[in-house]
Amino acid sequence: MGLADSLDAYLLLAGALFAIGTFGFLARRNAISMLMSIELMLNSVNLTIVAFGSFIPALKADGSVIALMVMAVAAAEATVGLAIVIAIYRNRKTPLVDEYDAMRR
Amino acid sequence: MRAWLYLIAAGIAGAVITTPALLVLIFAGGSFDDALFAALGTLMLVAGLAVVTMRDIIRCGLAMIVSFLALAGIYVIAGAPLVAAAQVIVYIGAISVLILFAIMLTESKAGPRSLVFQTQAVPAAVAAVVLFVLIGLGVAATDWGEAAHRVRLATDALARVLFDDYVLPFEIVSVLLLAAVIGGIFIAKREKEPG
Repeated sequence: MGLADSLDAYLLLAGALFAIGTFGFLARRNAISMLMSIELMLNSVNLTIVAFGSFIPALKADGSVIALMVMAVAAAEATVGLAIVIAIYRNRKTPLVDEYDAMRR
Repeated sequence: MRAWLYLIAAGIAGAVITTPALLVLIFAGGSFDDALFAALGTLMLVAGLAVVTMRDIIRCGLAMIVSFLALAGIYVIAGAPLVAAAQVIVYIGAISVLILFAIMLTESKAGPRSLVFQTQAVPAAVAAVVLFVLIGLGVAATDWGEAAHRVRLATDALARVLFDDYVLPFEIVSVLLLAAVIGGIFIAKREKEPG
């Protein structure tokens, strides 16, 4: 049946991981949990890119190169995101996002 | 007593991860690659579910490392070994450690440990399931025009493309990383106490 040789299997796996990340981002209260969910979603997108790169002959090495770029951008995003969370934690003394209500009052 | 519980939990987790692989290998007549793909995919999804559902956030971070590692294995199966190496170095070596440090810096004993989910958790679960079904329908309905077999990418071909066609994005990404590091230090820097 060739599970590892079918593009659909990779895409469905990536879709499942993306859905899990979506749930985590929408449902968790902790800001760092939300960042971890974003990392899961970025990883699933990366898996999609790599799968397309290895199954579509016209793409050649482009898929892997773009995946490496996405990784670098994800590292930058994690750095800035965690710095923001730590800065907010210093002011509000909590990592829970539903208690960040300074702009609602 | 507690040690036995951990042992039983580890046994159940191992059974859950190896069962799809054995099913693929024995009943569906798949090759060893297929079995490995099934096992790593299951491990990745189970670890991902653990990341978004477990109470203890440190354990969430460790489960995220397991998920990244399984994904690196899937990259190897897909035929992109350099991406797998970068995954291990960047995600497991750098981003996970960064996240674990941030968890330890923001862990407060006074904070409520009981509620880990927002009130919108059930609609969020429904939305995630609907999203997965939509993606699955889209994947099943589309003809991607893919080759019948995956191509294993040679590293020197990738290096040629990276430093030839993509050299400008490469440099831009390096500048972006520098800016992100400086910005991160500036944002997270402790301000001087007045007086």
